Amino acid sequence: MMSDSWTALYVAYSIVWLGLFSFLGYMYLRQRRIDKDIKMLKEEVSKHGK
Amino acid sequence: MRMDRKKLGTILVVVSVVLILMTVYLAVFFAPLPQTGVKSAGEILSSVEGSKLKVAGFVSAVYSIHFGMLDGPDEVIFSLADFRDYGRYLQANATHSLNQQWWTVRPIDIKSISGGLNPRMGPNLGGVIVVGANLSMDGIVTSNTIAPNSNVTGFSLSSGSGNDITFGSVGSFGLMTAPVAQKIFYFHMPSAWACYLSFGVTLVGSALFLRTRDHKYDRVAYSSAEIGIVFATIAITTGPVWARQEWGVYWRWDDMKLVTTFVLWLVYIGYLSLRAAISEPSAKARVSAVYGILSFITVPMSFLSSRVAPLLQSSHPQVIATSSGSLSPQAGMTIGIAVVAFTVLFITMLIKRVEIAEAEEELEELKRKIGDEE
Repeated sequence: MMSDSWTALYVAYSIVWLGLFSFLGYMYLRQRRIDKDIKMLKEEVSKHGK
Repeated sequence: MRMDRKKLGTILVVVSVVLILMTVYLAVFFAPLPQTGVKSAGEILSSVEGSKLKVAGFVSAVYSIHFGMLDGPDEVIFSLADFRDYGRYLQANATHSLNQQWWTVRPIDIKSISGGLNPRMGPNLGGVIVVGANLSMDGIVTSNTIAPNSNVTGFSLSSGSGNDITFGSVGSFGLMTAPVAQKIFYFHMPSAWACYLSFGVTLVGSALFLRTRDHKYDRVAYSSAEIGIVFATIAITTGPVWARQEWGVYWRWDDMKLVTTFVLWLVYIGYLSLRAAISEPSAKARVSAVYGILSFITVPMSFLSSRVAPLLQSSHPQVIATSSGSLSPQAGMTIGIAVVAFTVLFITMLIKRVEIAEAEEELEELKRKIGDEE
């Protein structure tokens, strides 16, 4: 019973960390992709402007 | 301004990481195990048939005992009642007034088939299972009728082996600590709090958008809803891990707290799906603001469902703001720091998410510009 209980604790804490870090990672990647796209489009706009 | 926000974001990330690491340390090494692991005999009635439970109480009646008969295993049928009435029970028993008093606890019937000699019980089980004996035991909830009390409650506890029974001194099992899985609470509850807070911010953001038509409030509203879903997902996945240990089952569809929280989660998934389905920006903001306000009703529904347990069936524990809430100072400090940690983490995530939302809009604007030029 005790070992089950410890396993449950590890599983639950892993869910917490996995959940939080997955979301933080997703936000980081999303930000990076958007920044890259914005940079690319801005370059394109300035080229068109010239 | 952008630089200031970046600086603030970095500070908040550092603060929330420090607070969360502190919570982990306190939860694992400092906070005591909440003393709710052993269910009292009365509480078993709210459990699900087939779930495995550890119960504790005093023997209030013995119906039949037979050992080593010609056929069949050793068998004992008795009733177990709550410790909470034990003092009064002893008094009434001493004055022979058991029949003259009202007993609010409903005893639960136990059927134990020991199947042989039990080292912890000794050979003479009948000498131990006597009225007033204190014991704790593991068993499976069954709905069959095995003794007179089952006619009232409809439930009994069945133990396949006498080894599942442990005897103790008077009231000793009342102090028995729960399995270590109880410490899941130190992250489960703050996650639930952060999810309620997130959806509260969505409500405020939606209301402010409808009033001002300023899209910055819409950005805050949907960013907060997205973060709220992350916290809600953590809460509704860590809960079943604990429930498996405490109730013997992962999920109970008859528990109002669980059902209303699941509905809350679905409703906010619906909020994001609705946004994804509408392409026109102002219609998207307007419709989702109305939805964001209406869907907030699920937050008090989820929060209050375990507090009105006598009306709405729920065996989900209540911790804060109840007269019976009995957190130790160490546990209180740990949960307090955890709540602050998750609140700071929520603010950090929200700032970052709103920043991304702004960048997304900038990107859309650029795309439109290029499209127009072409």
